[in-house]
Amino acid sequence: MVLTDTFTPRNFRGQSHLAARDARLRAILDHATRYFMTKRGVALEAFADREDHFGRARVARLAALSRLPELLERLERNATAAGTRVHWARDAAQAREIVAGIARDCGAKVVVKGKSMVSEEIALNPALEATGAEVWETDLGEFIVQLAQEPPSHIIAPCIHMSRADVAALFREKLGLADLADAASIPELTLLARRALREKFLAADLGVTGVNMAVAETGSVVLVENEGNIRMSTTCPPVHVAIMSLEKVAATLEDAADLLRVLPRSATGQRMSSYVSVLTGPRRTEEPNVELDGPRETHLVILDNGRAEVLADPVLREALLCFRCGACLNSCPVYQTVGGHAYGSVYSGPIGTLLSSLLLPTEDTRDLPFGCTLCGACKKTCPLGIDHPKLMLRLRERVCAGSPGLAGVAHAFLALHPLAYRLAVGAARAVDPGLNLLPRLPGLPVGLASFVDSRQPPRLKTPFSAQLRRSRKKGGA
Amino acid sequence: MIPCLVEDCLPEIGLAVVSVLERLGVGVKHPKGQTCCGQMAFKTGDAARARALALRSLDLFAGPDAVVCPSGSCAKMLRAYPQLFEPGTPDHARALDLAGRVREFCEFTLALPGAPDFGARLQARAALHRSCQLDGSEAPARLLSAIDGLTLLEPERPERCCGFGGLFSLQFPAVSESLVEDKARELLALKPELLVSAEPSCLMNIGGYLTRQGRPVRALHAAQLLDLALTGGATWS
Repeated sequence: MVLTDTFTPRNFRGQSHLAARDARLRAILDHATRYFMTKRGVALEAFADREDHFGRARVARLAALSRLPELLERLERNATAAGTRVHWARDAAQAREIVAGIARDCGAKVVVKGKSMVSEEIALNPALEATGAEVWETDLGEFIVQLAQEPPSHIIAPCIHMSRADVAALFREKLGLADLADAASIPELTLLARRALREKFLAADLGVTGVNMAVAETGSVVLVENEGNIRMSTTCPPVHVAIMSLEKVAATLEDAADLLRVLPRSATGQRMSSYVSVLTGPRRTEEPNVELDGPRETHLVILDNGRAEVLADPVLREALLCFRCGACLNSCPVYQTVGGHAYGSVYSGPIGTLLSSLLLPTEDTRDLPFGCTLCGACKKTCPLGIDHPKLMLRLRERVCAGSPGLAGVAHAFLALHPLAYRLAVGAARAVDPGLNLLPRLPGLPVGLASFVDSRQPPRLKTPFSAQLRRSRKKGGA
Repeated sequence: MIPCLVEDCLPEIGLAVVSVLERLGVGVKHPKGQTCCGQMAFKTGDAARARALALRSLDLFAGPDAVVCPSGSCAKMLRAYPQLFEPGTPDHARALDLAGRVREFCEFTLALPGAPDFGARLQARAALHRSCQLDGSEAPARLLSAIDGLTLLEPERPERCCGFGGLFSLQFPAVSESLVEDKARELLALKPELLVSAEPSCLMNIGGYLTRQGRPVRALHAAQLLDLALTGGATWS
């Protein structure tokens, strides 16, 4: 599938149509999502008392949301006490300004980034590049999509839409490796990326990362990863900026531990990620705790970007429980079929549909909550117990306020008037029992033609109630 | 409670429900004037119309009887009625009462005396589509497994959605078609003689697709299969 010029959720229906017709993409997604689901299944199978742990993680998240302002203030106080400069960003523009300002202030020529969805959300890279810095994604998957000049297509697996051969071809072209074979192994490809990135880490003036959780009681930032690139991005450059969306706060290290017990298992099927960094302030320089490594300056940017408003909605706020394990994407039949790019926004799949609908302008996201069969696979998968289908329905209601579809109105009108309903169905039965004319009826969605094309529609028959009445009369006589 | 799809397009499912239940000693009433449970309005975000249709159902199904429905999704809709009304109002109380009396057909039948061994017999290979709309219910599998001679098979991803999703199939036809294609492939791999489910809309979707593909496999509701087996169907062919 080729991305349309404008990467926007307005194109969701068209993009998902193209993606579903792309057999190659479907095969890649099928393979990758099954791989994730299988690994996850094995890890959860071996996770004793998992429902208890899921419950504890959910409670930690609920507790954080229920006293968010207080926790964020504590976080600010304790992070500041540890030497971190805390910045509040109302929206994406302000967050970009803050981070670009830090880059300018430290004269950054090279910026290395850890994988961060929130930095995608605020479209940070162009703003950093505008300061004259070169910006490098250092997560392998992010590095790959950066070279391909594409947005990530999955919360935790940015290049899930690409095959190994695709990556080899990309490296051949962008890294000047003419001899690289399509059949290059993943370790080989990883080594090549590692070589390219190592010099960037060493030259970097600024490291930018997201935040998996920020601990209010200690002012720490917790980061989870497998490649060591976040460890490098937060320790090699003299300045580190962590960006968090405001719901990512956890009250205590205890709560953070409850989340860490669940997050890697649900995300990648690991008991624990290869690296977990708990970062509290910059390098200490005063006796007796002099530290020899770490940045000399640390910043924490706390981003709202529409979340405070979401928090005020008693139903929809549940979406803010999410800690981005990505499991709902892998379990979703629609995501498995169309991948992340089709959604046209940074967050894709079930949770992405919810977040995008809540954070972006309604007129851009009208179609998103309808791209869901309400099968509930996401809800079943979510370790935090988010009820995605329920929220999806709430969003549909919001989108449709005042303007439900014509077909729906006609159907509901008839259903409310039993006599009219019987007459309408009766008339249809007389004229068109095979429902062959159905696709041509005005007011019905164009998709009906396509539906009838691939599926024999049911025939209108003598209604059940009439048949039952007849047989009962016979029986009684 | 007979879904509108069953009333006009798949009446044989309704007749089988009546036949099975009466054979098992249940008195069946069919209140007149049933149209739609409001699912379509509810799922397309039209809460006002869903509420109006729910009120009709609340009137139609007032009274102490169990309300049996041969569709997981319609049963689920009836159980969702309380969401449509303000807690503390009389309509909310009526909705709660109805929600408590709603039974999906397989669930209801499994709770009858003597269940699940009703002496049903049928020699056949049937592929079971669980349907996501039944929320992982084991009732269809338990009910049908008790049929003597029936080989009940489940596909690779038993609970995966068949791609119908009501209006979804019309708004996202290509995605819907991809999903039903996956489902059909996994079901056909079982080499079944027939396809069985407790969800009429899935049956219509998968059955319709198989017909268009020139691979018609009879798609039966669990009630139809049980009805056949109870009337001494012996061998499917």
